Amino acid sequence: MANATARNLSIHWRATTSRLLLAYGVFFVIWGMVLLGFIYWETLHYLETRTDMQLKQQVAYLRSLNQEHLLVALNDYVILERTNYNAWGLFDAKQHWQYGDVLQFPAGLKIDSDSVRLPTEQVIAGPLAPPTPRLSVIAAHLPNGQILVLAHTTRIAARVGNIISHAVWWGVSFTLVPGLIGGLILNRGPRRRIRQIESATQPIMRGDLRQRLPVSHRGDELDRLAAIVNGMLDQIERLMGEVKGVCDNIAHDLRTPLTRLRSQLYRVQQELSEEDPHTAMIERCAADVDEVLARFRALLRISELEDRRRREGFVDVDLGQTLERVHELYAPLAEDQQLQFELQAEAGLIVQADPDLLFEALGNLVGNAIKFTPAGGRVALSVQQSGPGTAHIEVADNGPGIPEEQRHAVWQRFYRGDGSRDASGHGLGLSIVAAIAKLHDFELRIEGDGAGARMVMECALRAQDSPALA
Amino acid sequence: MPHILVIEDDEITAREITLELAAHGITTERVHDGAQGFQRALEPHFDAITLDLMLPGMDGLTLVTQLRERGIATPVLMISALGDVDERVRGLRAGGDDYLTKPFAPDEMAARIEVLLRRQRQEQPAQTKLRVADLELDMISRTARRGSRELTLLPTEYRLLEFLMRYPGQVLTRAMIFESVWGLRFDPGTNLIDVHIARLRRKVDNEGEASLIRTMRGSGYRLG
Repeated sequence: MANATARNLSIHWRATTSRLLLAYGVFFVIWGMVLLGFIYWETLHYLETRTDMQLKQQVAYLRSLNQEHLLVALNDYVILERTNYNAWGLFDAKQHWQYGDVLQFPAGLKIDSDSVRLPTEQVIAGPLAPPTPRLSVIAAHLPNGQILVLAHTTRIAARVGNIISHAVWWGVSFTLVPGLIGGLILNRGPRRRIRQIESATQPIMRGDLRQRLPVSHRGDELDRLAAIVNGMLDQIERLMGEVKGVCDNIAHDLRTPLTRLRSQLYRVQQELSEEDPHTAMIERCAADVDEVLARFRALLRISELEDRRRREGFVDVDLGQTLERVHELYAPLAEDQQLQFELQAEAGLIVQADPDLLFEALGNLVGNAIKFTPAGGRVALSVQQSGPGTAHIEVADNGPGIPEEQRHAVWQRFYRGDGSRDASGHGLGLSIVAAIAKLHDFELRIEGDGAGARMVMECALRAQDSPALA
Repeated sequence: MPHILVIEDDEITAREITLELAAHGITTERVHDGAQGFQRALEPHFDAITLDLMLPGMDGLTLVTQLRERGIATPVLMISALGDVDERVRGLRAGGDDYLTKPFAPDEMAARIEVLLRRQRQEQPAQTKLRVADLELDMISRTARRGSRELTLLPTEYRLLEFLMRYPGQVLTRAMIFESVWGLRFDPGTNLIDVHIARLRRKVDNEGEASLIRTMRGSGYRLG
């Protein structure tokens, strides 16, 4: 479950739209923050400059007042300017406190200079301290030698900071949350279509070149890609058809002269006496011609099977009985090659099939297994129900096996594995099996790990033949 | 001497059939088109018919269907350029007795005609025993013996021997054996039938005895 979710997320993440959207979102957030940061910084700077100017003006004004007026003015000033925070302190020439909330001359503060920003706790402590971390502070000598310290902070700066941080949060949430949701929604369409394309390619990869990828009316990137692939498939199908057509034509056209050649050889053979030295040669020639004719017959047979789309002539076939007949037919051959030939057939497995073709397919698989298993080996033919509605036919041998990378190719016309060159045969047997399996919608595959090959044919059982009945 | 009606529009094929059958001591009459072929086929003096399925006038399937409807039982070997399995099934269902795909080996064709002729002759009395030389097959008890020696045969071996014994002295090709004994019509590889024959031979022929099952070079087997 968790795995599935993780996989789902990873699929989402890999989608182009998601990635673009996320990259764009991150870019947008960063850029927005830079912009707002810049505004914040500029505003603060401006406010500080204003404060500095204000403090200077105030100091200049306060210096011009005499002692009584000064204290009144300072108190009034604190009270009147409620919106901002103000504090003051009067110190004697030795920087000892005399009046005001600033109880200690702030360390490091230069007198008669521009205002500086100092940490709040260095200037004023206790309940009177404002909530801001820094204060603008200025100190100046009064005409009578006293030192006046003014501290000021504007709440506007903090407010502006607040506004901007709010703006950042809202901005981010308004951008990212709907963005991500929108991205997921946008992604669904393309993902559904990718899935459609995926399922359309399955039969193509299995060799059914008549299938095409779905193209919608939108004409977007996926459609263009699908159209390109479809064009490619058209071309491949045409070329395959041409190759097949040429093969078939050659096979078809050469059959007649070869058959004539075969009958001439036969006549010559009949006329020669047993002792004639040419007899053996003629016999070899005839055998070779037979071989070629068998190959052509097989080629044409594959074409015939491949072109057959109809499933008429399908009847109920008992797999167990079919296997028994196959076993009976091939047992002497296996015995001749000193092979152990086993049969294990579950009874009552019925499929819809053409009985002769099914027999031919199984016969080819068994014949092949017998051919490639060295003397003393073992070939096992079996059928059993492998799941609800499927039967599992297996032809297993302990011969050289078929390497993983060749397993797909062996079903193709004329393919022969590297290890099989010394054995006779035209390499078309398995193609015939593949064509028959395809006609029946049976699944063919090759298993086995090193020690021999297992040819597996999975058949769909007749519909009403549910395990409950068995 | 058997007399055969050849209904075939292709000159070369017709000549091949005629020559090959003549070599087997069979006389032939040749007809070019379907309608005429049908008229001739109604005549009672033919022992068998070779029939091309694609004919001008009347196609082979219709011809054989109408022939059977009129109660004419002359054996028919159908010859067609179409190798399709369904085509063959249709042909046999319409009333043909055997089916051969073009191009065919003439000896194969002749062997099939001879089997048809012999089957025709055998049909009258219901036989229960087959005898060839000192070989005897009892079809009721399903047992076989050579001379005084009882042969223990597997079911397949019994069917194979029965088929061979039904047509003694007659060349039977591997394809014909495979079709008749196993009821199958595909290419099982050359040596599969040979292996079965070799097995049967080991049981039928004891040491010192003359071999009854003979291998015919280039074509097939013959019993006796």
